[in-house]
Amino acid sequence: MRWLRLWAAKATGLLKGKRLDSEFEAEIESHLHLLTERYLRQGMSSAEAATAARRQFGNVALLQQKQRAQWSFVSPAEWWGDTRFGLRMMRKKSRSNAAVVLALALGIGMNVAVFSFVNALLLRPPAGVSAMGSLLEIWLHSRTSTGVQSYLPFTYPDYAYYRDQSRALEGVLAFDGDGAPTIWNRSGEGQVIQRQLVSGNYFPLLGVHATLGRVISTGDDQPASPHPVVVLSHSFWQRELASDPGIVGRTLVLNGAAFSVIGVAPPGFAGLLVGIAPDFWVPLTSQAQFTHDKERLTNRNAYWLIVAGRMRTGVDARKAQAEMHVLAHQRELNYPDSNKNLDAIVYPATLVPGPYRGYVSAFTGLLLAVFALVLAIACTNAASLLLARATGRAREMAIRSALGAGRARLIRQMLVESLLLSAIAGMAGVMLAWWFARLLLELKPASLPVTIEVPLDWRVLLFALLVSLTTGIVFGLVPALRSAAVNAAPVLKEETQSGGLRKSRLRSLLLIGEIAACVVLLAGATLCVRSLMHANSIDPGFDTQHIAVTTLDPGTLGYSPEKVDAFYRRLMGRVLALPGVTAASYVNHLPLGTSREATSVGRHVGHDPDPLLVNVFRVEPGYFSAMGTTLLSGRDFTQQESDSPDAGVVIVNDVLARKLWPGQNPVGKRIALGGEKATSEVIGVVKSGKYRTLGEGPVGVVFRGTLPPARTLVLRTSGDARPLLEEVRRTVQVVDPMMAATGTQTIEEYMALPLFPARTTGLLLGASGILAVTLTAIGLFGVIAYVVSQRTHEIGVRMALGARPTDVLKIVMRQGMVVTSIGLCIGLAAAFGAARLLAPLLYGIGANDPATLVGVAVGVTAVAILACYVPARRAMRVDPAVALRCE
Amino acid sequence: MGEKKSDVLQGTLDLMVLKTLHAMGPLHGFGIARRIEQLSKDVLQLNEGTVYTSLLRLQQQGWIGSRWGTSENNRKARFYSITRQGKKQLELETENWERIAAVIGRVLRLERQG
Repeated sequence: MRWLRLWAAKATGLLKGKRLDSEFEAEIESHLHLLTERYLRQGMSSAEAATAARRQFGNVALLQQKQRAQWSFVSPAEWWGDTRFGLRMMRKKSRSNAAVVLALALGIGMNVAVFSFVNALLLRPPAGVSAMGSLLEIWLHSRTSTGVQSYLPFTYPDYAYYRDQSRALEGVLAFDGDGAPTIWNRSGEGQVIQRQLVSGNYFPLLGVHATLGRVISTGDDQPASPHPVVVLSHSFWQRELASDPGIVGRTLVLNGAAFSVIGVAPPGFAGLLVGIAPDFWVPLTSQAQFTHDKERLTNRNAYWLIVAGRMRTGVDARKAQAEMHVLAHQRELNYPDSNKNLDAIVYPATLVPGPYRGYVSAFTGLLLAVFALVLAIACTNAASLLLARATGRAREMAIRSALGAGRARLIRQMLVESLLLSAIAGMAGVMLAWWFARLLLELKPASLPVTIEVPLDWRVLLFALLVSLTTGIVFGLVPALRSAAVNAAPVLKEETQSGGLRKSRLRSLLLIGEIAACVVLLAGATLCVRSLMHANSIDPGFDTQHIAVTTLDPGTLGYSPEKVDAFYRRLMGRVLALPGVTAASYVNHLPLGTSREATSVGRHVGHDPDPLLVNVFRVEPGYFSAMGTTLLSGRDFTQQESDSPDAGVVIVNDVLARKLWPGQNPVGKRIALGGEKATSEVIGVVKSGKYRTLGEGPVGVVFRGTLPPARTLVLRTSGDARPLLEEVRRTVQVVDPMMAATGTQTIEEYMALPLFPARTTGLLLGASGILAVTLTAIGLFGVIAYVVSQRTHEIGVRMALGARPTDVLKIVMRQGMVVTSIGLCIGLAAAFGAARLLAPLLYGIGANDPATLVGVAVGVTAVAILACYVPARRAMRVDPAVALRCE
Repeated sequence: MGEKKSDVLQGTLDLMVLKTLHAMGPLHGFGIARRIEQLSKDVLQLNEGTVYTSLLRLQQQGWIGSRWGTSENNRKARFYSITRQGKKQLELETENWERIAAVIGRVLRLERQG
């Protein structure tokens, strides 16, 4: 408390410094006056009296200074003086300072950019939500499996049970977690917009109020009779409806059904999930209008709801979790067939769902570590530069200390200078970070239906400030301590060979650390770039050229199955007639996308001793030739087989064929698909490819007919697929004006999605590697060049005594090489350990790939030789006569 | 200079100023200096300027307050007065001082006996 009051007093002093000063002066003046008067009364002359008064009072100037120090932290005037002096010093060495600032700015900028993503994903609360602190996400957790797969969203019956039974939570809300495209009939033409189904208590529990009209209420969300009402997002209302103030009460036709607008959500509100920005919200129970799945609300096997609850006051996460365990156990007892081994786990609610948070923080943490290392290299450069400069300024420091500057005063002067550098770098870094963040967002494939806001808010700016301050102190403190430890007498006596062994040893240590960090980063970068090259060359099992794809879903318009079939038949006829198209087919979804369908297969119907889990794709005839997938044996489907739900024929990939019938011809064999009463005949085998991720091992796949209404059209062309895209879009509109094609793109564009992780890490770590090498080379060059300039005299003496230029070259090079090889050894050992962290991100390459490590070692050595050779050559050319004379 | 006067013990000036303000009521710096001079009976050597440092210290601690007024001879002067917190502090410090003085006294008497 006492220090608080003191600081407050000092702070006021800071504000009212001038006034306090003059008041104090007046007080002293009056005191002196009174003393003088007293002495005059005692009979002194006026001059004598004044002197006596001053003697009795003491040193006025000293007192004033003390007084000022008392009411300020450190005299601001002194700080300002230091700063001005620092700025002057910076201008004097503007070029080397610019290099230091640029390196630091890049380092700080990269760190801030990565942090702005951490902030956007993990720290920032969802915009517009007031009750975030008391919200808990709830996930079903399967005790029998591990990893992300073990967490499931809720089914509607489970959600209803938890909502109605929980006492610890004052309300439990639910929403549909997938970004769900919906066709909006905009005066006769279909436009695709994003919906989110939300429970009736969603808006009230989040404390979100409508900007216009009202939000969805529990009354709208009745399973028996859901109200056809819609709340629009603020940005959709602005963008598509020109902020029409009379929108409430109007009707929108969504997926063929009429919904009346009841309100507009507040600006910025985009729900609770990162990456998804719904255009409108509708009641959960009206889901049948969109999914055409009338059973979903009663289905105890459809896991589709993300659930969050708001804690009652006095309840903490632990109590809520305990209750969730009890409720989960109750469900297990009541419905053993569907809820066996399903627990419920709570997480504090953030924009990234709880089960995924660990992965996101691990990945961003890795990136932060990588760029912290880059920043450390930049710091080392700055520190060695300042150290070198400090040696040059030994004389200045000696004079300062001789004139009475204390050690603390000298350290402060030096620190102010380094903080100035880091402050400028920090400001530049924030600008760079803004630009980096935008660049990274550009990398996101267009087909990923994700929108991420990466704001530079106060958290990011605070982080930038802290990083800059730390940076300034880290690289400034050692040189500052060194230069403050000046021994004035010998320096002033012009014994100029100051510093000597201790300082150069410190510089060597810094260099060793720098080279080691560089090796680690370069090894990581090389691994990632090589893995990216691998990923690009991985055979996905289909052609990655000459193919155009587009996604269609007439089911959203509520068409009957006959109408859907008719649409697809007409469309197929039209696209086959487009110029250049050589083959076309439909598939329910492409491999390597975000959708999947899986089933278990065996050789016999019923209880197979060890059923295999396989992926299922539903295709029409011609899919394999359109995608360029080789048919190894057997034949393709016929149109009739593909259309009929009980054709009883499938095509398998050779991985599955080898697993089920090793060494036999699979064509003609019978296979039992999970949940089906009769076996199916294998009519063909295709070459295996990649189906979920590019890095996966061999996966068994079954291809069969009977496609759902949502399909992807695959078009093969003889030439470039790009000009075809516009034609496809137009053709769809011609066949049915109400239909809207989504994700119309070339197969190259589509591949951006599976390649996204490899590309992002490859780019980021590649950039860090290049940065690290460049900075290290500059650092090495700078230090060796400085050492050479310091040893010019010595070299001159050596040459005068008969040393040949090559001997001089050897001396200088040896100094650089010793440092390099020590740094290299430490770096390689560290890289060996650190690479293991990267393993899950790598494709087709081991984390401790020997070729990479050898390559990095050779590369760093080559760069080091070059960085030492340039200044060494200069040393070689020293003219002994000149060198000796300059003393 | 005649006989040597003792320097004011570090920290004791604050106590003296507090006590003076407590005993005499609101006073200006000059008045405080006169009072201490009078009481110390020329035993203590005092740079009167240091009174002001002490006053500022006490003020920043919130133990004394000040306001501008007019002195006996119609000059503008700053009058200092003790606050409630200051009185509490004074009690505390006085006790403290007496305890320490007693201990030192005892130690010194011991020395003399031994």
